[in-house]
Amino acid sequence: MTVFKTFLKILNKNKFIIILYTMFLIFFGGFNMQTSENNTNFVASKPDIMIVNYDEEKGITKDLIKYIEENSNVVDLKKNEDAINDALFYRDVNYVVYIPKNYNKDFMDGKNPEIEIKSTGDYQSSFAEMLLSRYIKVANIYQKSINSEEELISKINETLSKKSEVEITSKLDTNILSKATFYYNFANYSIMACLIYVICLILASFKDIKIQKRTIISSTNYKTLNRQLLLSNSLFSIILWMIYVTLSFILVGDIMFSIHGIFYLINSFVFTICATTIALFIGNIISNKNAISGIVNVIALGSSFLCGAFVPMEWLPEGVIKIAHILPSYYYISNNEILKTLEIINFNTIKPILLNIIIILSFSIIFIILTNIVSKRKQKIG
Amino acid sequence: MKNVIEVKNLIKEYKEIKAVDNLSFEVHEGEILGLLGPNGSGKTTTINCLLSLLNYSSGSIKIFGKEMKPDSYDIKSKIGVVFQDVAVFEELTVYDNIDYFCGLYIKDKKLRKQYIEDAIELVGLEEFKKFYPKQLSGGLLRRLNIACGIAHKPKLIFLDEPTVAVDPQSRNNILDGIKKLRDNGATIIYTTHYMEEVEIICDRIIILDKGKILATGTSDELKELAKIEEKITVEINELQENYIEDIKKSKNVDEVKYTNSLLLVTYTKGKNNLVELMEYLKENKIKYNKIYSERPTLNDVFLELTGKELRD
Amino acid sequence: MFIHNFKYSLKTLFRNKELIFWTFAFPIILATFFNMAFSDIENSEKLDIINIAIIQNDDFNNNEVFKSAFEEMSDKNNKDRLFETKYTTKEEAQKLLEEEKIVGYMELVDNKPKLTFITSGINETIFKYVSEEIMQTSNIINNLTEEEIQNQIMTGNFNVDYESIYNKVIEITTEENVKLKNISSDNLSYTMIEFYTLIAMVCLYGGILGTVSINQNLANMSNQGKRVSIAPTTKGKVILSSVLASYITQLIGVALLFIYTIFVLNVDYGNNLGLIIILALVGSLAGLSLGTMVATTIKSNENVKTGIILSITMLGCFLSGMMGITMKYIIDKNIPIINKLNPANMITDGLYSLYYYETLDRYIFNVVSLLIFAFILIAVSYISLRRQKYDSI
Repeated sequence: MTVFKTFLKILNKNKFIIILYTMFLIFFGGFNMQTSENNTNFVASKPDIMIVNYDEEKGITKDLIKYIEENSNVVDLKKNEDAINDALFYRDVNYVVYIPKNYNKDFMDGKNPEIEIKSTGDYQSSFAEMLLSRYIKVANIYQKSINSEEELISKINETLSKKSEVEITSKLDTNILSKATFYYNFANYSIMACLIYVICLILASFKDIKIQKRTIISSTNYKTLNRQLLLSNSLFSIILWMIYVTLSFILVGDIMFSIHGIFYLINSFVFTICATTIALFIGNIISNKNAISGIVNVIALGSSFLCGAFVPMEWLPEGVIKIAHILPSYYYISNNEILKTLEIINFNTIKPILLNIIIILSFSIIFIILTNIVSKRKQKIG
Repeated sequence: MKNVIEVKNLIKEYKEIKAVDNLSFEVHEGEILGLLGPNGSGKTTTINCLLSLLNYSSGSIKIFGKEMKPDSYDIKSKIGVVFQDVAVFEELTVYDNIDYFCGLYIKDKKLRKQYIEDAIELVGLEEFKKFYPKQLSGGLLRRLNIACGIAHKPKLIFLDEPTVAVDPQSRNNILDGIKKLRDNGATIIYTTHYMEEVEIICDRIIILDKGKILATGTSDELKELAKIEEKITVEINELQENYIEDIKKSKNVDEVKYTNSLLLVTYTKGKNNLVELMEYLKENKIKYNKIYSERPTLNDVFLELTGKELRD
Repeated sequence: MFIHNFKYSLKTLFRNKELIFWTFAFPIILATFFNMAFSDIENSEKLDIINIAIIQNDDFNNNEVFKSAFEEMSDKNNKDRLFETKYTTKEEAQKLLEEEKIVGYMELVDNKPKLTFITSGINETIFKYVSEEIMQTSNIINNLTEEEIQNQIMTGNFNVDYESIYNKVIEITTEENVKLKNISSDNLSYTMIEFYTLIAMVCLYGGILGTVSINQNLANMSNQGKRVSIAPTTKGKVILSSVLASYITQLIGVALLFIYTIFVLNVDYGNNLGLIIILALVGSLAGLSLGTMVATTIKSNENVKTGIILSITMLGCFLSGMMGITMKYIIDKNIPIINKLNPANMITDGLYSLYYYETLDRYIFNVVSLLIFAFILIAVSYISLRRQKYDSI
């Protein structure tokens, strides 16, 4: 009991750290979660295009602008080159179209005037360029045989209005599941950082050489003491996990009450266990309190960056993913990613999830064994 | 005798309390002056004011005949201080620490090297030159702390409780070192709340309490302030009340106490008290195990002056 | 004296393992993580080849326009290749879709494309768009052919050569006559910002070195400081040499990060090395001034002072895009004053302008801002140091 009391006191002194990492989770984990509609209907992706028109808005010019507006999100920025350049750099706009002066007149005269563009070079901008080229190409073809502006425009629009029929098969609301996955992926960082930091700090306090001398000579058996410490730490981990789960119910919502939600919970719980064993291991090999924050940052940030907690896994280079296989976070995050697109739940589809969970548990066992080996060696002072 | 330090009417006020209250004293050349007082009596504050580390509210401080100011570098170069707290760099070795602080005074590298060696020898750290402070025990760390303060061979040395929490061996080493410094011509101001140390090494003592000087003088002079001069303790297993009354009536006796088989008799004047008491006991056939006489300690003096013990 | 103190200031700074970890090693570790995580983002944002399936029914086999168009767009030798196309039965296509081997499949029904996807997305949109484009092309061909035939009939030529008209029309439609000129800068790699914020972080973290080394000289901050205060040396000289030592230490940290990011991680800082060095010097000076100001004006222990510098640095880096570059853009665009006052952003933006902009106005603005920032903070430190006498230690 005394161990637990002391534990709580030390915990209380470090509550700021816990609050800090939790705030990170709410702020960043919840940041990317703007609500959008359930997308079981097809929604065309629209690139962000900015139009800088030096021509009068009439004729072909007007129609081109109308076409772009219909097929993209037109971004309205200050007509200032620096602002436009910044917007391009930060992908606020994917594509900028500069319609030159007298475009309408020159076009009707068959001069096929050149259009200047700025592009970010990503797929959004490639699509934007497809849109623009399409219009000009169609317009050019008809321009050769049609002289009337009005007729030309109606012909162009007739052609461009031909649409394909689209059907969407998925009934799954991937949007909300992505949110849940994003949240739980980020939780990888918060759980690791928080647990390792706090548990290491507490172990370091208990293992402080002077204090350890006292506890060793005290009438409490060191095994009992260690058991109490382990119990307190586990309790802390579970409470932290419950806080984060509760937060996910608030931030993500209904989906957490589904079978998917249960899998997110199980997965994060198993990972919490693993993170606790990692924390205990590190806490046992480190006695210098000052070193803790450095180690926490390196380990928690490292496994978060390498395993795709911050940047989606599909964007990571192959080599990094390969390295990530040696870290438990990889399996935890893989599970979240599987859950995101998991449509039919049967034994076959959840098999990979269970496999990952087994791997995470194996990591935990390895860390427990390592901790035992290390602490056995350290039973005598100095 | 020349005065190295002259302090007149020094007052240092914090918001509500007067830490130093109208202090005036002198320090003579070549002496070891002890500043004695319980914790919080204003010893360290006084020293910090003398060193112009602290602003003081009023009064004047002259060191080596000149007013002490933060930029009195000529005065500062002749002063060495050993602080109560260990003031060394964790990141530097024993040698580097001494070299750094000595280097703030002595620019000549060759001379400095010699001085550092002397200081290391004085405090007995020859074997630990390459050690980092973390690797030193408490006593050795204190010695390093002293070496850092006195390596530049100052004329005036302040020692602020240099022996707090030090093992007896290191303490003796330190006290010997201090005497050596004095013998080499330095004037030393020594603050402590261990009166035994003061009695051993100080030429003159100032007793401070609550920022005020209670008494000044040599150890003997101070003891004379107390009205008692001799304390005799006798171990007697049983003593009847009438004998106690008898002893109380004898010559020079100030007080008689009998508790826990111990008879304690204090005398206001000395000479033959012990013999007379022993004769009295013999006459009345009172058996006793042990008898011994003590001169009063500074603690007794302090107790009389303030009504409380020096040590808290 | 100056050199003596300088030497030992350097020695104590370099021996301070914690300090060296945070100012030297941590940024390099972080840079490595950034590099691992971000090195592929921009490539994965480029248009990939899209896996699709087309159902081989009679409609498709007889539709020359669709057939040839998809053939061309799936041709491995075509540099503008868009698709990897499988020609399958409907059942096979459905299976492929379920296994997510393809993003969707197309079935021609009455020469009208019908597309099936799992969900919406950019690849799906492009597939849909391309199918529409082909449909539109056939529409043009039909329109033009019809028109041409009518023209010929109008001119009295009833002996219409369909073949030649068709070929003529095809020729018109395949003619590449769209004139676009790309005038955007080549340096569009936005993940560079992450590394720029790291440089900013190191420059400002350096302030901690300044704080620590000044604290060593202040009697109210450290016991060593008391020793220095009672030594016969001017405080100004000692502090100046300590500050210089911490500045040099800081610059070594910055230089290490530059070397590491340039030679190991291939971070692009633009081409003007001289200007980059000036920015690094000025940025470090700003960090140093932050450190000296915190050291001299805030009366608290070293941990609090370090905490303040860390918080200011991290907040500054956050606002200048370290945890997501969008943040910098949002602030720059909507509340520019915040980032104009934010030293982390001055450094980040300075590097950004060297990398992305051809003109130097923005760079110079940032360098001057940093100098003003540093000057004000150093002036404040100087004044408060001059005023400092201790009423209590």
